[in-house]
Amino acid sequence: MAMRQTPLTCSGHTRPVVDLAFSGITPYGYFLISACKDGKPMLRQGDTGDWIGTFLGHKGAVWGATLNKEATKAATAAADFTAKVWDAVSGDEVLTLAHKHIVKSVNFTQDSSCLLTGGNDKTIRIYDINKPEAEPQEITGHTSAIKKALWCNNDTQILSAADDKTVRLWDRTSTAVVKQLSFDMSVSSMEYIPDGEVLVITYGKTIAFYNALSLDLIKTVDAPASIHSASLHPDKDFFVAGGDDFKLYKYDYSTKEELESYKGHFGPVHCVRFSPDGELYASGSEDGTLRLWQTEVGKTYGLWKCVLPDFLSQLSCVLAGSPPVCHIAIG
Amino acid sequence: MRTPMSVLRLPRGPDPNSRGFDPDSPRFIALCSTTISSSTDTETDSVQIGEEQCARSMLRESFLRTLIAMTNKQVQFYMYERVKVNAVFVASDIDVLNFQVSDLQTPIGVQKEALLRCQDVILYSFDL
Repeated sequence: MAMRQTPLTCSGHTRPVVDLAFSGITPYGYFLISACKDGKPMLRQGDTGDWIGTFLGHKGAVWGATLNKEATKAATAAADFTAKVWDAVSGDEVLTLAHKHIVKSVNFTQDSSCLLTGGNDKTIRIYDINKPEAEPQEITGHTSAIKKALWCNNDTQILSAADDKTVRLWDRTSTAVVKQLSFDMSVSSMEYIPDGEVLVITYGKTIAFYNALSLDLIKTVDAPASIHSASLHPDKDFFVAGGDDFKLYKYDYSTKEELESYKGHFGPVHCVRFSPDGELYASGSEDGTLRLWQTEVGKTYGLWKCVLPDFLSQLSCVLAGSPPVCHIAIG
Repeated sequence: MRTPMSVLRLPRGPDPNSRGFDPDSPRFIALCSTTISSSTDTETDSVQIGEEQCARSMLRESFLRTLIAMTNKQVQFYMYERVKVNAVFVASDIDVLNFQVSDLQTPIGVQKEALLRCQDVILYSFDL
């Protein structure tokens, strides 16, 4: 008996949610940070959406947010011309890095020692978190505001997407461009999957997959509406996307077939990401909410519980051989 | 028609009175002893960390006592952009983000009740 998706709505933000990021899996589970135009990024427990704390200090809209793998540090990028580093356990502000314009993107290296920033001043910066007073390394070249800057290839290279309709791959040491992709329109989002070196790029109604090392195109998929963000499942069997029509779309990565679409948000979807264990994906919207969606609807996980009404339904579920993952709740 | 998936409860929302990061949570207890950055940076030993904690407690207590002493007194607040205002201090919120003041004297008039954003305050002074 197939179940209908029940998204979990996380409220608390008072303005559009523009970015979100998951941590890695830690001994305390995994965590989710959301960037919001209300200037107050929030940390949540990743599998339940329960609020843990709010990072207070920014004086403008927060455009980007990220967590390190261990969820001990957070970084945020804001319209107040600063990027901030936070202690993600105590919620305290650790560092404020002044920029010359709106900061849009922040990203930690694997060992959390360096922070990558990018924003409207068109310059990529690399800060050593242990030596914050030192001048950051600067990488210039983009001719428009940078939307996203990500570490890749074991933190030896950098991928950046900007409003100049290019995605560029830079070498960290030489700061030179290694390769560049040009598009007819601005790239709306970018996701880097280290395991398998896949780059997910969205522009217009297209979700495109590239090899992150060579920037060779793997495949493209077109959606029914303009897409703002997409995310590839860790096992690379599904990907999800969301955009202007408020819906979340789920596709089969191999066949490119649209499997499901879900309504729920009351505004355009700005960001979507799979959790590190692939069991759920989170979406952030113009409507000010985050929603958590099950990858496998019907599975008991987090706050979702497979509860069947009576024994007969349980029996029909088993006999029909329907999704084998529906755990029968006893008691 | 498919049955909707059941949920145990809704995700918990923010606490309106605090910024969260519960110090009693297992994660905080396990990890926060290492977030006193000054101690970890200089690799001080546990005796010195103990002394540092005593000093921190004393300073914190003094600060809280000054807030009590300030209540209902005239305070001069020196803020950014060369702003200097007088007001009667009433209270602080728990995270010291906002000060509640009365009779705030501003260049455009006296505000009967107001909130001052603490991060905008450089220094404040009052007579004991």
